[in-house]
Amino acid sequence: MEAEPSRAAATAGARVGRAVAAGAHARVRTGATVRAYGALTMASLRSSVQRPATLVVRGIGSALVALCEAVGVVLLVDRFGSIAGWRTPEIIVLAGLVFTGQGLAQAVGNRLRPDDVSLMIRKGTFDQVLTRPISPLGFVITGYVEIRLLGRFVAGAGLLAWAGRAAGIAWTPAHLAVAALAIACCAVVVFAVLVLGAALTFSTLQGSEAINVVLDGGAYLTGYPMELYGSVLRALFTWVFPFALAVYVPALTLLGRTGPRGLGASLLWVAPLGSAWLAAVAWLAWRRAIRHYVGAGS
Amino acid sequence: MLWCSVRIYLVLLRAGFRRQAVYRLALMSGLVTNAFFGVIRTSVFSALYRNRPEVAGLARADILTYIWLLEGMFGVIWATWIWEFAESVRSGDFAVELLRPGDPYLRLAAFDLGRSLNVLLTRLAPVLVVAAALLPLRLPTSPGGIAALAASLVMASVIAFQLRLLFGMAAFWTPDYKAGHSLIVPVLYLASGFVIPTDYFPAALRVVVEASPLFALMMAPVRVAVGQSVTTALASQMLWLAVLGAGSRALLALASRRLVVHGG
Repeated sequence: MEAEPSRAAATAGARVGRAVAAGAHARVRTGATVRAYGALTMASLRSSVQRPATLVVRGIGSALVALCEAVGVVLLVDRFGSIAGWRTPEIIVLAGLVFTGQGLAQAVGNRLRPDDVSLMIRKGTFDQVLTRPISPLGFVITGYVEIRLLGRFVAGAGLLAWAGRAAGIAWTPAHLAVAALAIACCAVVVFAVLVLGAALTFSTLQGSEAINVVLDGGAYLTGYPMELYGSVLRALFTWVFPFALAVYVPALTLLGRTGPRGLGASLLWVAPLGSAWLAAVAWLAWRRAIRHYVGAGS
Repeated sequence: MLWCSVRIYLVLLRAGFRRQAVYRLALMSGLVTNAFFGVIRTSVFSALYRNRPEVAGLARADILTYIWLLEGMFGVIWATWIWEFAESVRSGDFAVELLRPGDPYLRLAAFDLGRSLNVLLTRLAPVLVVAAALLPLRLPTSPGGIAALAASLVMASVIAFQLRLLFGMAAFWTPDYKAGHSLIVPVLYLASGFVIPTDYFPAALRVVVEASPLFALMMAPVRVAVGQSVTTALASQMLWLAVLGAGSRALLALASRRLVVHGG
């Protein structure tokens, strides 16, 4: 069952290889590369809709994880009235933005989790990926799209719509743009952490779960207002792993709040820069990992 | 004769303990994860408890105990080896288990308990000791209290094994044995008190949840640790241990008769 997408992707990969090799000119090659990624994505999507019932169940499961977490937060904050001056719907706006961005990033990057990358290296699958005439990262992403994980995205969007209304967000085009910016930035940050973790696994070989602290921990932490945390945690998740810039700062704008000193709504324009910074670091780490890749022996 | 059969299970228990000791890197990163999430939860609850001595019968010390006990228990209740049994059914390896002497259910339980004991010693104990040194937790100090907590933790581990086995046994009927689990587990996670303590639930929901076996997984050890209605918590754990034990053992016997092994 688990092997199926990879088999489909491998077949598509062979087809793609021929397609890319056929294009000698640079212009033709760009077209071929785009077609290659398209073919790979379609192959992985087709393989996941082979069993529609399974896909639906898994999609609902993925949404339920997010919803149950949100129900817990609602029950908790309702008990206490508010956390650091934030009411229940305002907190759920944070959670909704996080789940939506996370769902997007995981649907394309879930195979970059340390365990999967470790298996790919140890089984030698990655050696084959390297022989293909397209970017290895592109291959791993487009070859293993997992639409079931979009359940989290849907749950997040639903929570955001509900909580936004309850929190009194007017949803003007400007508000929608800010929410879209937050979701996109959050997705980029989560995806960059996934790539970073994958790059790290190339040197540790064993799947180290330590990156999950940043990946899941960062997302968990961003589901609550940043006022709750000490200065070290706040700085780490604002300036190094910019989850707060991606989610918390746009949420301040959406909710018309000012935020604490040093992390106010005026930082909105820095959010894309923060995501770009982490994406660049992740890309460099990945390139370094590929260059130094020696396989796992056998 | 009796000793001989008991010895089989003791050997398996030790083997399970040693099996789990192999994963050193996983242990290290597990501890880092527990410490991190513990700190985040502590920050959240400290903000909630500012200016409030007690909410829903839980004082600040109780909630801190809950948080760090939860971090320590996480690796046992949501064990990483949950699918090993289902995989052995699917691959047919489980057929070999049926040929071995002794009771298959007790053999699985003994091996699993060995692994769980290892996790309790290497993950729960250090997390709890460090947290208790730095924060005002409410943990038992008398020998009787410590023994009660230890018993409660072991019972929670065994009940978690029984639930894992029930989920894994889906593999006897369907190759997509993870599907049902993916729908049920998010709800179990919330209802067993892993998102927030069940004490904060609305009264009606709380009654339902605490009457279910999920209470035995997380909230019963917390009650025993903080010294709230200890006897009731332990009795409820014993009851569910017996019920789930009888149920999962009977189901395993029934399912084993259905086991189809493909030739090869």
